[in-house]
Amino acid sequence: MSATPITPAPMIEVENASKWFGDVVAVSDVSFSLGPGVTALLGPNGAGKSTLLRMLCGLTPPDRGTVRILGADPRKDIAVRGRISIVPQQEAMFEALGAFEFVRLAAVLNGIFNPDEIARWALQVVELDPDEKRSTTTYSKGMKQRVKVAQALVNDPAVMVLDEPLTGLDPRQRNHLIELFGRLGDEGRCVIVSSHVLDEVERFGSRVLVVAQGRLAATGDFRAIRDLMDDRPHRIRVRTDKPRELATEVMASVGALAVRLEPPSTGRPGGFVVDTNDASLFRTTIATASQRVGASLVEVTPLDDDLDSVFRYLVQR
Amino acid sequence: MTTTTQPPSPVRGSALDRTLRAEYRLILRSICTPGRLAALIILSAISLLTAFATKAGSSLDPLQDGVGYVNANVATLIPVAVLVLGAASLGDMLEDGSMVYLWLRPVPHWVHLLAAWMATVTVAVPVVLVPVIAGTLVIHPDSTLLLSVVVAGLVAIGAYSALFVTGGVRFKRALPWGLVYILIWEGFVASAGQTATKLAVRSYVRSILEQITGVELKLANFSLASGILVPLLVGALILAYGARRLSRSDIA
Repeated sequence: MSATPITPAPMIEVENASKWFGDVVAVSDVSFSLGPGVTALLGPNGAGKSTLLRMLCGLTPPDRGTVRILGADPRKDIAVRGRISIVPQQEAMFEALGAFEFVRLAAVLNGIFNPDEIARWALQVVELDPDEKRSTTTYSKGMKQRVKVAQALVNDPAVMVLDEPLTGLDPRQRNHLIELFGRLGDEGRCVIVSSHVLDEVERFGSRVLVVAQGRLAATGDFRAIRDLMDDRPHRIRVRTDKPRELATEVMASVGALAVRLEPPSTGRPGGFVVDTNDASLFRTTIATASQRVGASLVEVTPLDDDLDSVFRYLVQR
Repeated sequence: MTTTTQPPSPVRGSALDRTLRAEYRLILRSICTPGRLAALIILSAISLLTAFATKAGSSLDPLQDGVGYVNANVATLIPVAVLVLGAASLGDMLEDGSMVYLWLRPVPHWVHLLAAWMATVTVAVPVVLVPVIAGTLVIHPDSTLLLSVVVAGLVAIGAYSALFVTGGVRFKRALPWGLVYILIWEGFVASAGQTATKLAVRSYVRSILEQITGVELKLANFSLASGILVPLLVGALILAYGARRLSRSDIA
């Protein structure tokens, strides 16, 4: 008997979801599904990221299409709301409460009977003092962000929706939270994080959702997305001891669209930058091309398969 | 510091009373801002001063004076104070976006409305009703009058609280809407005819005053039972509407 591989059910399923406010289309016909792990949601300001995240939590209904979280409608199913947590973008919290009381309240409202213990733990996870008594209104933006993350941990959520959670944090705390989100994803939670700081997003992992003008521009591993973007030539830098000879060979043999020579600089040999439509073909043939001209390859570096380039290409389409 | 992302074995259960208590305490603390309390205490102090003024210029019928004093406060101080508290209870959270921390919990949305109503009543009774009772006793220390002001005041606070807590959920600017309701609808329109009278809390509260004290009041056409039950039942229905509305709201 052959075993049939079991595909885990998606934790988030969005089908043809649209949302508009008056004449403004905030989200247009978006479909995707996500399982465990960290996914970064990218998009320029006003692209519809926050509206999409609010729809995922049931905070606003789609005008068309469906949103299912763990198989249920988060707007109608009380039980599933207990398995979602959110770090909203807005700063406002309950002004009358201190951080411990705020996080403790989240635990109580989630039906947790040992809220003190859970709240202390959650605050310690984000490196805040549970015994700090002052109101959160006196906290810095970074501290407020960490309190918001702490309240999102108390219900041991299956799905975490984090809207710009790193805003206002110092570099050390950013690293700490990026690591925390990674661990949460590794433990089987579906963590979706929006951010506009691409360097940070790259550190969450490679899985991205890119939203532009309310539409889903791309989804998946951003390097794979880049490979599929055949309307944009790939740009690759090659450094070698014989740049002119190898550049000529490359133009003749590996489908280069354009080659620009670069002079040697201090401590680095010269080279060239090549534009090609087929990056994988280039990568497999550059070694043989260099052998043919007797050149030593010092460096072969893709210049535009980083997240920043992929993002720029997608939103400019 | 080493931390784990696994919480220390949470003990879970479904206990609406714990949730209700927690939300009640939160909203109670939220609406009791120093500025708001100071404003309401000043208004109550002014009301108490008018009681002394009424006593000083007393007419031949202190019972009539006492009922007139309560009637005036039921028409102005009590609804305005309850509006200030009730509209803020959930309305402020919806406005600043902190409602998300209540809405996205495994809690039925009627619990939020009920907690807000309880908190509004809890503050309004000592801050507004107690001074009105004191003022009434200043004018005429009579047990019948005392009973009437307690019953009428509690019914008014209960009904207006339901109305204005829901108003805070329904309207973005609940305060001006509430003032329009108090001043225009209850103050003028409701005195225009029998049908409009049935849609004003003030008419039922006046009926309670009239039925208990025997002092005749305009637009007090209901029995004591109707005067007590109708505003409270309608208030419960309005809270249910508010919960439904909150469930269907867009939460920022």
